Formats: sequence, structure tokens, C-alpha cells
Amino acid sequence: MIEIDWSKFAIVAGVVLGATILLTLFCSGGVRLLETAGASSAAARVGAYACFAVCIAAVLFGLWVIVPQFH
Amino acid sequence: MDATLLITVVLVVVFALVFDFTNGFHDTANAMATSVATGALKPRTAVVIAGVLNLVGAFLSTEVAKTISSGIIRTDSSGHEMITPALIFAGLVGAIIWNLVTWYFGLPSSSSHALFGGLIGAAILGGGVGAISWSGVVTSIVIPAVLAPIVAGIAALIGTVIVYRMTKQASVPHAKPAFRVAQTVSASLVALAHGTSDAQKTMGVITLTLIAANAQPANTGPQFWVILTCGLAIGLGTAIGGFRIMKTVGTRITPVESPQGFAAESASAATILASSHLGFPLSTTQVVSGSIVGVGLGKRLSEVHWNVAGRIGLGWVFTLPAAAVVGAVAAWVAISSTAGLVIVAIAAVVGVAVIFRLAGRKPVTARNVNEGAPDAAPQTQGALA
Repeated sequence: MIEIDWSKFAIVAGVVLGATILLTLFCSGGVRLLETAGASSAAARVGAYACFAVCIAAVLFGLWVIVPQFH
Repeated sequence: MDATLLITVVLVVVFALVFDFTNGFHDTANAMATSVATGALKPRTAVVIAGVLNLVGAFLSTEVAKTISSGIIRTDSSGHEMITPALIFAGLVGAIIWNLVTWYFGLPSSSSHALFGGLIGAAILGGGVGAISWSGVVTSIVIPAVLAPIVAGIAALIGTVIVYRMTKQASVPHAKPAFRVAQTVSASLVALAHGTSDAQKTMGVITLTLIAANAQPANTGPQFWVILTCGLAIGLGTAIGGFRIMKTVGTRITPVESPQGFAAESASAATILASSHLGFPLSTTQVVSGSIVGVGLGKRLSEVHWNVAGRIGLGWVFTLPAAAVVGAVAAWVAISSTAGLVIVAIAAVVGVAVIFRLAGRKPVTARNVNEGAPDAAPQTQGALA
């Protein structure tokens, strides 16, 4: 009988869904803030750049996790 | 190491690197197809970026290489591999032939599954069914092969819905360029992921051969020169070729726009990177195809070209067994005598040459890669929702 470690697959599925939702939510949120408020609102622009920063940070964190040299 | 063994090991290394090169040639599309289809990147630029990131990715994580060198083929009671370098070579030949045939027909089948199929077929012929670690095959190959495209597809579907909901009220002409930038980043991540996944498979095969030839202890990872040459081979293959399949993946499955492309690539990159980290050798082609079907569903069901998706699905089902049969036949010839081994090597060279010549007659190049693609011109302004 083959033993299957389903927890590994659950981890992958969870990470994939979480990462995709986070990236698309914050990236499109940033685009929306930039486009609806335009250049008139400084707050909207700051918010937009904060959203993009979250995306970049998430990507860098992901890379940090998989590169063994960083651990 | 006697002369025959040494020659066999050298043959494996050379053909493994050729396989790696054809893998890059074959799979460039996976990383960059959606970017090229939406006009976010020019075909040539996309291909060069993908090549460089393939090489970088090869160095990032070697978990997948370890799975292949120690997780698929069993060792006997005294700790020796139950596969010989000659059998590995035969398996490789099976994979190369299958890979090039599907490449010629523009079918994004899985080069990884061709490789596993070839190896498994050759190992069964040489050492019997017991030479295969079936639990390794099921947990590392079969289950990930089924789950990964589905997970990537669901993630891409949700991502697409989020992107379109969020940007519905945004003024359309400006939202698109923003997503083109985002998409260039996400496409680059896919190329990087490709290096952590596909370059590893060749490294795994070379490492397995070195272990089988007693040139390296069992259960050790790939050596530096192996990582470097494999990364270079796949990067070079990616940079030189790949326009042919780009056409199928980017434009025939479903029309792709920048926001969709971004969602698809985020899902693909996350799936491949997370799986590579845990040592699951995924097929990047399958994951990317799953994501593209997912974004098609997220936008509108009717836009998925199900017949193309179905054709790709058939390729998935047949790749492993078909390559296993070719691998087993090659193994049967290769282990019969030294002359047999030479015959297999010649057959592989001839097969490769013939397919390259055939492909040259109707090339897909940087100029015609976007033919039939909707929304390819940067000026096009369509409705987002």
C-alpha cells in the first residue's frame, strides 16, 4: 500500500491560492486607486504605491523562502 | 571506470544537455506566451529574458533534481542503483524523440513526463517492475501532475475575477498599460520558476547516472558543474527557439488580455515555485495550460477553446506511456551489445536531425508568432469586463 502525504499537497494548494489572491487583489487595487482618483488625490496615490509595495514584498518573500542560501 | 562505462556516462551527459536544450526550445512559450500574445513584451525580448532567468532559476533550488536522482528508481539491498548508465541513456533517447515529435506537431505535451516515461520504461526493461519506486512515482509525479494544473487553474480563475471586479470602474485605456508592466514581472517569475523546475530534471538524470556509475555517493545532490551546464543548456535553448509552441499556448486556447495574463502567470509561478520547493517535479506546460484555461473560465466560459484544451489533455495522458515504450525499445537495443548502444546513439542523432529539418519547412518565427492573436497590438483598446 502506498502511503501518501496529503499535507504537502494541501500546503502547495494553500500557498498557490493565497499568493495568487494576494497578488491580484493588491495589484488591481493599486491600479484602481491610481485610475479612479487620478493625479488629484495624494492619498489615493500613496495608497496605490502601498498596494504595489505589498505585491513586490510578497514576491521577494516568496523567493527568500525557496533559496536555501538565505537560511 | 572502464572505457564502455565512461563512454556511456559521457553519452548520457551530452544527450541530457541536448534534452535540456530542446526543453528550453519547447517550453519558452510557457513562460512568455501570454506576455507576447498581449503585446506586453516583444517576442525576441521575451525569449532573451526567459533564457537568462532559466539559468538563474537553475541555481535557486535543486530539490526537484534530488527527487529524480533518488526518488524514482530503487536501490538494491546493497545500496546500488537498480539502473545502469546504458539504461538511463536509452530512457533519454525515448524522451528526446517523443519531445521532438510533439514539438513538431505544436502540441504542448510534457517534456518532463516524456523524461520520466523514458526512464521508467528503460528501468522496467532492465531491472523489472521492482526497479521502480512506485510510491515515489505516485506521490512525486502522478498526483502532482493531476493536482497542479487544477490548482493553478482555480487560482487563475479567482485571480481573474478579482482583477476584473477591482478594475471595472477604472478608466480602461490606463488600466491596460499598468497590467502590462505587472504582467512582465509575472512572466519573468514564470521563467525563473521554469529554471527551478525543468532544468532540475536534467540535473537529476545526470546525477542519477553518476551515482549508477559509482562516481558519486547515493542520495547526494547535483554537483556544481552539473547545475551550471544544465542551466546554460536550458537557457540557451529558450533563447534560441520556442516561437512555435508560443502560438498554441498563447492564442489558441483562449484569447488573453494583459489582466488575464497577469492572473494566469501569478498562479503558474506560485504553483511551480511552491512545488519545486517541496521537490515535486511538475510539468510547467501543464501548469501554464491549466492557468490559461482558468482565466478563460474566469472571464467567460465560451471563450475557452475546449477542443484545443482537450487535445492538450490527450497529450498529457499519452506522453508518459508513449515515452516509456520508446524508452523500453531503446533500452532493449542498447543493453544487447556495445554495437546496440552505438545504434541507439545514431538513431537519436538522426531522429533529432530529421525533426529539425522538417520543422524548418514551416517555421514559426518572431514575425508570425502573433498571427491570429486578438488584441496583440499595443494600441488596441477593448472593453475590460
